Amino acid sequence: MKFKEWFKTIIFYEIFVGMKATMSHLLRYKPITLQYPHEKRALPDNYRGMLALLRYDDGTEKCVGCDLCEAACPSRVIRVVSAEVPGEPTKRYSKEYYMDMTRCLFCGMCVDACPVDALGMTQEFEWAVYDKRQLHLNKQQLLAIGDRSFPVREKRLELQHPNVAFFNVSFGHVPQKPS
Amino acid sequence: MTELSLRLAISVAQIAAVMGVVMLTVMILTLAERKVLGWMQDRMGPMEVGPYGVLQPIADGLKLFFKEDIVPAGANKFMFTLAPILAMVPALIGFAVIPFGPSQPFEFFGITVKPFVISDINIGILYILAFTSIGAYGIILGGWASNSKYSLLGGLRSAAQVISYELNVGLAIVGVLILAGSLSLVKITEAQGGGFWHWYVFALPAPQIFAFVVYVISAVAETNRVPFDLPEAESELVAGFFTEYSGMRFAFFFIAEYANMVLVSCVAAAMFLGGWNAPYPGTILGHMGLEQFAWAENIAWFTVKAYAFLFLFFWLRATLPRLRYDQLMKFGWKVMLPIALGNIVVTSIAAYLFPKG
Repeated sequence: MKFKEWFKTIIFYEIFVGMKATMSHLLRYKPITLQYPHEKRALPDNYRGMLALLRYDDGTEKCVGCDLCEAACPSRVIRVVSAEVPGEPTKRYSKEYYMDMTRCLFCGMCVDACPVDALGMTQEFEWAVYDKRQLHLNKQQLLAIGDRSFPVREKRLELQHPNVAFFNVSFGHVPQKPS
Repeated sequence: MTELSLRLAISVAQIAAVMGVVMLTVMILTLAERKVLGWMQDRMGPMEVGPYGVLQPIADGLKLFFKEDIVPAGANKFMFTLAPILAMVPALIGFAVIPFGPSQPFEFFGITVKPFVISDINIGILYILAFTSIGAYGIILGGWASNSKYSLLGGLRSAAQVISYELNVGLAIVGVLILAGSLSLVKITEAQGGGFWHWYVFALPAPQIFAFVVYVISAVAETNRVPFDLPEAESELVAGFFTEYSGMRFAFFFIAEYANMVLVSCVAAAMFLGGWNAPYPGTILGHMGLEQFAWAENIAWFTVKAYAFLFLFFWLRATLPRLRYDQLMKFGWKVMLPIALGNIVVTSIAAYLFPKG
């Protein structure tokens, strides 16, 4: 037994085992890497990419300006300036909505926190820019991202659930109960 | 006068041809190394420049050529400039005595020309050993002149390593020299003709297989390649002795490293693996009656042997991790040196008992 180990040492047995392994990879060459800009891998459905603001199918914004996303965000990416809908004191909306994507860590907690599902995470990840300020997004830009990434939009909540009373979403176009 | 100028012209032409081939080989090697390493690690290697990345060396060369040439503050400017030249010139100058093909001299306007060796000096192998030792000065000076602790440490390591392992290279070669009875690489190669059983790795009465193993390991160590790349250990010393170098100066060190690889491969092929001799008696083209084209086959065999050796460098690099420094020294002095010395003793006794007929 001792002799066997000694013999293995002097003929570099372990090195030859290792070299056989590398050679087998060379002979059965099957790259596991992708030529990234030319070919892209399929992303999983729950991929947490760029954040976006969503709209209802009639084009109105989902966001009700509740600030919960701002509270949930661990790295203070989001800043919401909430305001009343003019003429409708019970209704609020986000007058301004900023995201500083340089700080975002894509945890998705803002999406979880949103009570009206106004935030979504897209599959976009190619957001390298030359100017860092381009990652400071305002409401229009976030809505544009949402528009291009989520073409299929939801109906308004009160139309999805006609039997539930929504006290704070009474837009003028919502069908009124016949009196 | 005309004879002298003609001789000069022929020499210059030969030197230009060999330099061109060596530089081309270096270019191919830089690509081949990345490709082979990639394939062995399930990657693709460079793929962007040209089809399958074959133009990558040109892109690299252009990039290095146009890079800013930085001399660090506090560096010894003269030494800093001298070091890359001192590293590259010895690596390239060694090719002067390598026989790339059969050396039947032919008459050219009244001058005998040996077409495939620039100069057949009778101490060829000694010349190569001497000049590769000078190459170590380039590395050491480069490390010292950079005024950086990483460079200095890399240079010092390199000094110790090159001294330890050049000894083994020299001693491993002695066995072959005893058998061949000559220091001229042309004569050594010619003595190995007539089939692979005449190559000095396998040749009776004293097969130099142990010397060959010692030579291969020491050659890897001498050219500072993985697993003996302690002078440029990326994980410890940023890049070792050329940490502070950029642009063309870095390219010089780079070329020197690869030219050294080619040189030790050529020497290994010439000393142990029969040089340009085919592994069967004669040449196929010669047997077919095309004796005047047999040199092409011989050169092809030399190329195959040298490239097989170069492939071994890449293969080792893909397989082995770096040695620790004390392991390196211990291995060099306590394992390689006794084997080389023992090989000399055995070879001498065998050569004495069975002298060549």
